[in-house]
Amino acid sequence: MQIGPPIVIVGHRCTRCERVAFPPDPYGCEQCGAEADQLEPVELSARGRIHSLATVHRHHDDAMETPFTVATIVLDDGPSVKAVLIGDLAEAAVGTDVVGVTEATGHDDDGIELLDLRFTPAGALSEAVTS
Amino acid sequence: MSRNLLAERETFVVGIGFHQYQRKSKTTYVTLGLTAARAALADAGIEWTDVESAYNGTALLGMGSSRIMLSRLGSTGIPMAQVENASASGSTAVAQACMEVASGQSDVVLAMGVDKPRGGLGAAPGQAGIENLEGGTIVPFTHFALLASEYMSAHGVSAEEVAAVALKNHRNGAHNPYAQRQKVRTMEEIMAEPISGSMTRLQCCPVGEGAAAVIVASGEAIERLGIDRTRAVRVLSSVTRTERLYGPGEGIDAALTAETAGLAFDAASVDPKEVDVLEVHDAFSIEELLYTEALGLCAPGEAASLVASGQFDLGGRCALSPSGGLLAMGHPIGPTGTGQVAEITRQLRGEAGERQQPNAKIGAAHMVGIGAVCVVHVLQA
Repeated sequence: MQIGPPIVIVGHRCTRCERVAFPPDPYGCEQCGAEADQLEPVELSARGRIHSLATVHRHHDDAMETPFTVATIVLDDGPSVKAVLIGDLAEAAVGTDVVGVTEATGHDDDGIELLDLRFTPAGALSEAVTS
Repeated sequence: MSRNLLAERETFVVGIGFHQYQRKSKTTYVTLGLTAARAALADAGIEWTDVESAYNGTALLGMGSSRIMLSRLGSTGIPMAQVENASASGSTAVAQACMEVASGQSDVVLAMGVDKPRGGLGAAPGQAGIENLEGGTIVPFTHFALLASEYMSAHGVSAEEVAAVALKNHRNGAHNPYAQRQKVRTMEEIMAEPISGSMTRLQCCPVGEGAAAVIVASGEAIERLGIDRTRAVRVLSSVTRTERLYGPGEGIDAALTAETAGLAFDAASVDPKEVDVLEVHDAFSIEELLYTEALGLCAPGEAASLVASGQFDLGGRCALSPSGGLLAMGHPIGPTGTGQVAEITRQLRGEAGERQQPNAKIGAAHMVGIGAVCVVHVLQA
């Protein structure tokens, strides 16, 4: 787990109907039908609350090591996302506050380290930062 | 809503047929489909030459599957089309057949479904070029494990209470010779082999192969062809809806079902609490609870205790998934929705033998499919 400056998630806002959504969309607004050029990037705080969670025991892709835990997270800025949870999850439950962190997932063909966005319980993270 | 043609021209299911749902085998899809189609014709007591049109629900076979199969009943030259609507493909085949008969365009139409697994579902939404955060981590069973987590947390329901759906549906499937899984299971067996969250192997449907067929006919055809009117089951309504936008964290699957079912029961002038027998999209045990509430059979949070106390068993206030549902009968994709309508027809005829819901008069069939779609049919004895 890599802790750095607060992470933002880039979603989009429709300039016609003001709907804020994630992920960014190359086609158009699902609410009002505005075309893609009327959607502008919007930064969403990677902070939210666990809406539901599940530990995955089996996965068809052998490259994915099980078990791992996923959650539906309702972001403080509105949209909900699904993502992998990492860190100390002993106390993680529906309602737990979580924040985004990055995790190294390998390297690309040029040897550059790849990072993926994960979430971790906010309480555990603040302890990790202060200790 | 637009006109309900089914209220204007009486439309019936007059024949049903299956090929058993089973693990992938060397049996060709042609044999699977012909077995079901021939059984449906024989059940209706009509000839293939009486059939004016055919819709074939299939999601996995690839293009052009129908004529090479149905021509072996005779190359009569009737219009045929493959119908793809994800898990609801076979439901949409029935919907198309009902619309064609109700509109007056035809008097006798075959609706069927046939599929064989081909490794993966090849679903188009994954090719839309829209990247999200979860990558490949959230497959269908995990999507529904997350909904189970939400449901258990919101209503104080235990994992065993959710699993009671599977206990019931495996028990029902044990009496169904067309089911892929025909074994009564113990709660211990149901709770073994965790897959994702509280979902275990026996709380997830098997996706195998099979076929189902129904003959949809008008009242005029029943008269003209001498079909047994007492075994004809009327289709009161057929409604299809697609997903709209809902609030953050709001259950998409249940909201879509509530909207579709509301329209279907209104069009049929049926109170959902009057339904005697209901085939529901129980690909994962949690779904039966969510949809039973969304269909209006009980209040949110009530379904788990009602299932656990036997209210939705055969002989209870409404028999849920009497065929064994997707969990035990199986979910071969294309046939599933057609098979539901065939099972409801069998129940409303009073011909379901050991799994008969006593005195069943009103039935409904409910399917959802990725994409996301929902189809509800309401039928009456």
